[in-house]
Amino acid sequence: MAIRELKVCLLGDTGVGKSSIVCRFVQDHFDHNISPTIGASFLTKTVPCGNELHKFLIWDTAGQERFHSLAPMYYRGSAAAVIVYDITKLDSFQMLKKWVKELKEHGPEDIVVAIAGNKHDLGDIREVPTKEAKDFAESIAAIFMETSARNAVNIEELFQKISRQIPQLEGTDAESNESFKLTRQTPPSTKRCC
Amino acid sequence: MPGLASLQKSSLRFQAPVICVSVCAEGERQDTELLCAFKFRCVFVWVTRAKLNIRAVSCLPTEPCVSLERDTGRARKLDLIDTFSSEISELKQEMVQPAREPETEILQGLEGEVSGLFLRSTACAGMPGVRDSGYDSLRRRMSILDRLMQTHSIWLLLSISEEEARRVLQLQPAGTFVVRRCPKLQKKVISLRMDNDICPVRNFPVKESQYTFSLEGSGISFADLFRLVAFCCISRDVLPFTLKLPEAISAAKTPTDLEQVAQLGKGFWDSDLCSTWKLSAIGEPVLESSQQTLKQFSPEQSVPWIPRTRTPSQLECSQSNGALCFINPLFLQIHQTNPSPKNPGTSTSLGNKELQENRESTSRSPPPRPPPPRFSSRRSAIRRQKTMPETVSWIKTPQDKSSLLGWLGHSMNSLSSSPPKIFSKPIPVPLSQSKNSSTLLDADGIRCQMALDDHTIDEAVSWSLAKVSMRNSNATENGNPADEHSSIGRERLSDISISTSSSDSLDFTHSFSLPVEASSPGTDRPTGDSSLDEEEDDGINVESDQEAPPPLKSKKQHNAGTFVLPRALRGRLRKMSGVFNSLMTPEKRAIRKIVEQSRDKGTYFGCLVQDYVSFLQENGGCHTSGSDLLQTLRQFMTQMKSYLLQSSELDPPIESLIPEDQIDQVMEKAMHKCVLKPLKPVIEAALQDLQVSSGTWQQLKENLVLAKTKQPQEMGVEGAFPPDSVAIEKIRHKFQNMCKMYSPEKKVSLLLIVCKLIYTIMENNSGRMYGADDFLPMLTYVMAQCDMPHLDNEIEYMMELLDPSLLNGEGGYYLTSAYGAMSLIKNFQEDQAARVLSSETRNTLHQWHRRRTAQRTTPSVDDFQNYLRVALQDASNGCTAKTLQVQPYATTEDVCQICAERFKVSDPENYSLFLLTDETTQQLTPDTHPQRIKAELHSRPQPQPFYFVYVKSKPQID
Repeated sequence: MAIRELKVCLLGDTGVGKSSIVCRFVQDHFDHNISPTIGASFLTKTVPCGNELHKFLIWDTAGQERFHSLAPMYYRGSAAAVIVYDITKLDSFQMLKKWVKELKEHGPEDIVVAIAGNKHDLGDIREVPTKEAKDFAESIAAIFMETSARNAVNIEELFQKISRQIPQLEGTDAESNESFKLTRQTPPSTKRCC
Repeated sequence: MPGLASLQKSSLRFQAPVICVSVCAEGERQDTELLCAFKFRCVFVWVTRAKLNIRAVSCLPTEPCVSLERDTGRARKLDLIDTFSSEISELKQEMVQPAREPETEILQGLEGEVSGLFLRSTACAGMPGVRDSGYDSLRRRMSILDRLMQTHSIWLLLSISEEEARRVLQLQPAGTFVVRRCPKLQKKVISLRMDNDICPVRNFPVKESQYTFSLEGSGISFADLFRLVAFCCISRDVLPFTLKLPEAISAAKTPTDLEQVAQLGKGFWDSDLCSTWKLSAIGEPVLESSQQTLKQFSPEQSVPWIPRTRTPSQLECSQSNGALCFINPLFLQIHQTNPSPKNPGTSTSLGNKELQENRESTSRSPPPRPPPPRFSSRRSAIRRQKTMPETVSWIKTPQDKSSLLGWLGHSMNSLSSSPPKIFSKPIPVPLSQSKNSSTLLDADGIRCQMALDDHTIDEAVSWSLAKVSMRNSNATENGNPADEHSSIGRERLSDISISTSSSDSLDFTHSFSLPVEASSPGTDRPTGDSSLDEEEDDGINVESDQEAPPPLKSKKQHNAGTFVLPRALRGRLRKMSGVFNSLMTPEKRAIRKIVEQSRDKGTYFGCLVQDYVSFLQENGGCHTSGSDLLQTLRQFMTQMKSYLLQSSELDPPIESLIPEDQIDQVMEKAMHKCVLKPLKPVIEAALQDLQVSSGTWQQLKENLVLAKTKQPQEMGVEGAFPPDSVAIEKIRHKFQNMCKMYSPEKKVSLLLIVCKLIYTIMENNSGRMYGADDFLPMLTYVMAQCDMPHLDNEIEYMMELLDPSLLNGEGGYYLTSAYGAMSLIKNFQEDQAARVLSSETRNTLHQWHRRRTAQRTTPSVDDFQNYLRVALQDASNGCTAKTLQVQPYATTEDVCQICAERFKVSDPENYSLFLLTDETTQQLTPDTHPQRIKAELHSRPQPQPFYFVYVKSKPQID
């Protein structure tokens, strides 16, 4: 099985639980064969997807305002971006919108965007209604999930969805009949940034 | 089989497959056992999960192969190492005995008698009229391996098709073979002429993994393709029979002959040379042929043939150390043609040996002379020579022990060739000769085995010698050589025994296990070099963790602690490094080869590299900016890599030495060594100058001063506990080491060490995991505290020069973080740091991103290295595109074949592959490499869209 390395960038305000999500994702099924990384800012995990393996190279970013200017270095070349907000903090949702805008302007063309409303376990102090977030995600054709890193809710699923959105390499029947115009091939994914 | 008892005993659990030959050096063991050990031409020991497998290939035709499996669970650990090390140290005690050289006159006077004696003592008398002139031994020096290497243009035909291979082999006798690339399997295969005409040619795929080559279905792997093929020439393993070299190759007498044959390349198969080839039985020693060879002696050939100077790399390639299997190199030499005892050449006289040594010294540049001068130069001469005469003569000696001349001969031989002690005892070789019909083979076996040991031990000795030479930096060339030898010898001796027997000094065993380590799977992170060669080459006082590969938890391993050398000594040490050639991994060998070639202005590649290096050395400051300079460098290295791959200048082709998926990495390392290493000081100075002249330097320094006064909180550090001043000092030290490296990969691995340190400090103080929210501010704080303005250039150096394929990995991540931290510090003074930064940094980053990712775009699947997107243009259906898996080395022909299959084209002969760009349509010739074309197009500064299209080509389009 072919291994594809996919760079995934994590964006979102500080304290929304970006690294918790990834730590949960990576460590829940800890594979001893994979050489551990030196720290939690950069983690990798390989998951099977169809007839290939996806190795996620997950780049965490610092959410503080002063580091925003560095974000392009992290999301450049990313196959996917996971933008995380805290459902108990409206501010973090506003920040998410800024990130979406920035990705649209400066991010890679075909980037798969996933929105994660974290801290689902704290639903009683929720500030961001699920519907609002969901509608926003749909408007930009992004993957949307409310997650709980603490309770391991929807973490695996989030990355599975990303995996499925990554264009397949070859071999599917659908692809073999795909018509080809002599322009740069856009991946089968219909994803747009906004 | 009693000989295997000792083998069995030598079981040990190894992490990786290991091969050792230690069977013959059993000094105390019974002689019968010893003899049995001699009977094996090669012994394989490999360890699978729970089993120790031993396979000994006998020299006796009646019992060709003995296999053993043994449970390693019960095996006594360290048995092997004990045996091995005790043997080696014992043998070495002999080898380093003071060599009191007899007076030359006496030697000369005795020469005639002694040689006569040896002639007499040989079981088979020499052929009348053919006095030994060293010819035979020289001829035999062209081992199968040598022959294969020199003639690879004939049998290593990676690009030919199956049909072509069949056509070529059809006319050949069974056993004839070519090695080619099978586009269908995406593998190299040995196409073998079978012994029937129903299926005349069969393909045996070659498995390549982590630096080893093996036949599919076989458990024996080799360091490179040549060794694999050489082995298959003597032992069939999983093949139906052994491979046969064309007579023109196997019977060639001199390298010049081979060279002539090799020049024919693929055309050899259609040439007269090939067609006159007589059929001979498969797998049998070609007795007649070499007798013919002997008859063909022309007068000139009886004149001592002067060996062509071989480069160290050639020499090292003909050694058989390296991987999994330890084949006796001499076995290859001896068994390829004629059992030598038929031949007077075996009874080499002492005089002859001297002659050879003389030749050695005249034909070759003088061997390196590390202190003490005479001893080591002689040792290295012997080592390089690797001919049999000495060994042979002293094997024969015990027979004549009673006679004075025999004794003299013996002592002289033992002096000159320093044979291991155990063999100076009477060993019952003659006994075996009398009772055994296959004496010739036995004798050969002995010779092989001994030479092998001599060779191995030699290396061990040289290793310790290297260490001694460090200590004896004051050793001079004058003084009584004998005394000097003895004292040095003793020191060396103790040195060896310590390093071999004590478990805490790992030096010796470490050096031995190097090739083994290479066969264990590597990580995808950049790994450091642990060889001595690298250390000394770096020309700096290396701390050991600098070469530690970044599984970062490992603590310092101070085996390199002694390598703080005065500069004067380094040269000498460097010379010793030749000794380690055979201990090098295939990767290192390949790198070394490329580096050597880069220094050889006789090659085009060497010219390019040398010219570029000297241009930059003279005009280092001609660039407008640091990134400009670094980008040209990067571009140059990338171009050189693709040149090396495409040209045939690397001989043998790198594909035969390194598995294909490793080639790029190996090339990259080699480029660092031959381009960046000599240029590092120039680049550093130029970058610094540019910074100073633009005023950035001053600004950076001021900002650093300011940033250093800030508290962690002001840098954005929230929860985590910052490192104290001791830790900062430690980190600064690591950074300083990082600055000393020339390889961007090694620099990055040191950066990772620093980051790991920071994490450890953060986690120790809280016990939780930290993501970028905490790490990046902490890194910024630490970098400010370190107060090293030149880190800025260091980071730029890494970012611009690091292999693009590593940019998305962990190294790339932390490099990015370091760059980010540095730019924050640089702009610290700005009141609205964030805003200024966002416009400036964004701009540079954007450019940088475009530039770097131009070579390798991540998300677009068809840009992945091993994939190629090809469109089928069809008159009726328009275009259909498929992403195909295409190896970087696949030719257009291969791609067409894949396309024909994938697109289910019924008439592939009418189709061709075209490259479409905006303006042009180009048909690709069958021998071009689409992946390289793609890479080239991607690496252009302004990449244009392009497509590979598989189209029915009309006859008029040519």
